[in-house]
Amino acid sequence: MKIVRSILLVFTIGIISSLALIYFYLIQRDFTKNHREFLILLNNMQRDQSQLNYLILENSIYIYQNQDKIKDKIDELLSECNSLSQSTLLKDTTYKQIDLDFISLKKKVDINLENIENYLMFNAGIKNSLLFLTRHIENSEFLDIKDNHLIIKANHILKHFYNAKKIQDLDYLDKKEFLLKSDSKDKKIQKFIKKFNLHSNFLMNNYPSYLNSVDAILHNNIYDSMIEMNSQFSQLALKDFKALDRFAIILFIIFVLSFSMMIFLLYSYMKKNHTLQITSESLKHSLTYDQLTDLYNRKALEHKLNHISKPTILLINIDGFKNINDIYGNKIGDSLLIKISKLLVLKFSTYNNADIFRLGGDEFGIVFDNIAKENVCDIARNLEIEISKHKFNFNELKLYISVSIVTNNIFPIMENADLTLKLLKQNPTKRVMRYTDELNLKKSVEENMKIVEIIKDAISNDRIIPYFQPIVNLQTLKIEKYEALVRLKLKDGTILSPFKFLEISKKSSHYYEITRIMIEKVIEIAIKYPQYRFSINLSMLDILNEKLISILFRCFNKNLSVVSRIDIELLESEFLEDTDKVQEFIERIHSYGSKILIDDFGSGYSNFSYFSELDIDIVKIDGSIVSEITDNTRKLHILKTIYQFTTEMEMVNIAEYVENREIAIILKDIGVKYAQGYYFSQPLPKPLESDEVTL
Amino acid sequence: MLKSIMLKLILQIVIIINLYGNEPISPIPLHNHINLEKAILGKALFFDTRLSKDNTTACVNCHDVSHGGADSNRVSIGFNGKEGNIQSPTVFNAKYNFKQFWNGRANNLYEQIDGPINNPVEHNMNAKMLEKKFNKLKKYKRKFLQIYGEPKIKYRYIVDAIVEFEKALTTPNSKFDKFLRGEDTLTKKEKNGYKLFKQYGCITCHNGINIGSNSFQRMGTFLKYKSIKKYPDRETITHKKVHNNVFKVPTLRNINLTAPYFHDGVTKTLKEAIITMAKYNLGIELSDEEVKDLTLFLNTLEGEKPKILDSK
Repeated sequence: MKIVRSILLVFTIGIISSLALIYFYLIQRDFTKNHREFLILLNNMQRDQSQLNYLILENSIYIYQNQDKIKDKIDELLSECNSLSQSTLLKDTTYKQIDLDFISLKKKVDINLENIENYLMFNAGIKNSLLFLTRHIENSEFLDIKDNHLIIKANHILKHFYNAKKIQDLDYLDKKEFLLKSDSKDKKIQKFIKKFNLHSNFLMNNYPSYLNSVDAILHNNIYDSMIEMNSQFSQLALKDFKALDRFAIILFIIFVLSFSMMIFLLYSYMKKNHTLQITSESLKHSLTYDQLTDLYNRKALEHKLNHISKPTILLINIDGFKNINDIYGNKIGDSLLIKISKLLVLKFSTYNNADIFRLGGDEFGIVFDNIAKENVCDIARNLEIEISKHKFNFNELKLYISVSIVTNNIFPIMENADLTLKLLKQNPTKRVMRYTDELNLKKSVEENMKIVEIIKDAISNDRIIPYFQPIVNLQTLKIEKYEALVRLKLKDGTILSPFKFLEISKKSSHYYEITRIMIEKVIEIAIKYPQYRFSINLSMLDILNEKLISILFRCFNKNLSVVSRIDIELLESEFLEDTDKVQEFIERIHSYGSKILIDDFGSGYSNFSYFSELDIDIVKIDGSIVSEITDNTRKLHILKTIYQFTTEMEMVNIAEYVENREIAIILKDIGVKYAQGYYFSQPLPKPLESDEVTL
Repeated sequence: MLKSIMLKLILQIVIIINLYGNEPISPIPLHNHINLEKAILGKALFFDTRLSKDNTTACVNCHDVSHGGADSNRVSIGFNGKEGNIQSPTVFNAKYNFKQFWNGRANNLYEQIDGPINNPVEHNMNAKMLEKKFNKLKKYKRKFLQIYGEPKIKYRYIVDAIVEFEKALTTPNSKFDKFLRGEDTLTKKEKNGYKLFKQYGCITCHNGINIGSNSFQRMGTFLKYKSIKKYPDRETITHKKVHNNVFKVPTLRNINLTAPYFHDGVTKTLKEAIITMAKYNLGIELSDEEVKDLTLFLNTLEGEKPKILDSK
């Protein structure tokens, strides 16, 4: 994100600098345009000023001239002056001096124009009089030789006037001698003299003004001022242009920097992106591949199954893999898995319609697309044999393993295969199994689901009930105790045995409920039947379950007066290592005055070692022994031995499965204290009022 | 001796004659580029008395187009019959004048119009009044909208239209112009008149396209010209003594039509005007013959009546 922000920032700077460049370009363009226009105008003014000077010069030389030329030139000059005065540059403080210069220049121009007006005004009279005098002398043929001096004098005066005009010097005029004089009485002569003197006088009077006006025009320093202004302006403009140049360079550098930064950032962004891509690819890989074996994983399998029309799976499970891990360590376990995966790859890489998966733990799967089921069975059998014969070498260690293989091509593929594997695992003799609908696996699942529903229903409708089977004292033939057995009453009144629902309930929280209900109800009954003792079944595993134990003792604590008549029958279905906990429990039970029974002794996991560690009060001899003592003398021996042993350990026996009178008599003869079985009574909804039995 | 003097003299004259410039008068161009639409609108305005406060005075009152564009009265009569203070100069070819008014107080025709419009003895109006008045005139409003693209008539549009009309008031194809272009010949007397015109120095001031109107000159350069009263001369603008009695040199085109003459309108005939000018500004006495020839020459300066006056 940081890099993206940086890119955005640099990008913004780039855009701003580009905009600044454009803005600068526009300013610079305007600036240059203004400068150029200003200079052009100034140059034009210079040109027109010099042309005007030239025209004035021409005017002064020629007797007459088309003065429109002067007028037009003045118009041009004034319009240029006007344009220049409107130039935006002059408003700029940098060009303040130029503005001031221009204002004074404008004044000079105006004065000069006024001078030109005056010059033209005076010049006309001067020229005309000079012309007149010339013409006057020209028309003097009538004069006699004796009046020659008049001509000479007239020419002299005229020459002086011309020279004074040319030299532009008043000193050149003979101020005393510019008039003609004659004593002649000739009227013509006098008239000639009078006319001449009239103009000569006029010239003498007007020459000063005329020469002044000429002088003013000649000595106007407008052109110099213009040149001065031009150079000053150029200097200032040069400074401005240099500043602009610097600014442009700075802008350009910023632009280039931001541009290269952008490229760099984009590059690193792309690089980062590339790393991300690699990471995401490896993540993707790990999503579909198993990390350890690099085979496809379970997810990939699901995907595969969804995308092929006729899948067949080969589900391979390593037997006792947990033991391998436990014995040899996870390292060997992992490397075994890798070796197996290599073996599978080697075997199935030739199949172009097979994909190999590791489904986690010790399970592998081969998925075939469109393959005959007979072939699959063959492949599975061969594979099983091959693996079982394969020697897995881990340095010194050599291992042989066996696998269970399930094949299935019936939807839902995985579910069916898993169920079949479970079934296969229960059968230690079979290694390969094919799923068929006939296995009824699914049905049992459905049934289980149904039973869970039933349990739930029964709990909420108080249909978990205890049944009671009497335990008879063979010596006195009196019922002393009852074993409480859990039953589930269906809606229609049918009573379900625990083996139909208890195992399933253990997989849900309902088991606690059932246990609690049983304890409460048995206590209730025990209150009603104070003449009997009652026993409740718990498994060894239950004792290790703290929640269940706390339920039990909570009930016990509520009914302290009764619980001394409540005994606990412990049933072990698996060998229990932590007997300390169990002994702890037993001691606690004893503190209530209750007794501990060991159930089903003589079969399964129940064994003698218990007696060394656990304070057991009563031993229930397993029905598989009791029911056969009439036919099987070995069993009779076992029974007798148990009796002897327990009696010596000061424990009491209860024989289960007493199904006929014969057995009861043998048991009585041996000395077994209690018996329980169909011969006396099947489990009943409630204890009998009478404790009498007959043998 | 005399011979040598004469020789010198002749030489001098030759030199002087050689110093004459090119022909100092130029003909009026035959093609006058104007915006006809505007000019026609301007013409209507020029003839419209509503341009004055009391609806009596139009421009044309004092610039009589049938009188060479000038006033036949000594001085102009304007608002409420009041007398103006100077003789109206001709409006014909006014666009060639280097400045407007006798004393050149306006630099161009646009500035010039302000004068008579605002003058209390002429139109006695001002810009605001004019706008108010003319914006009520639907016909004008339509015209102005058509030409200037704005629904409201502005004073500067009125001025612009009138100026455009005035620019159309040129009088080309005078006999003299044709002579200059080599299309016509002058009679001997006319030619002589022109020669005198140049020789005596009239040309010094009366040159250029408008034969005058490109410089200022004192009335009475040579001899003091006595006026009956003080006229608004150049001095009233520049406040310089040297400009006393100085006026813009008037055009000589159509001079035979624009009597009376000079700023004071005292001189009634062209002949008198020629004599007066020769006397006061040149210091010359002209013979009757010379006056006649000069008059004949000046008559050749009458041009064609501006075409715009014929169009509706």
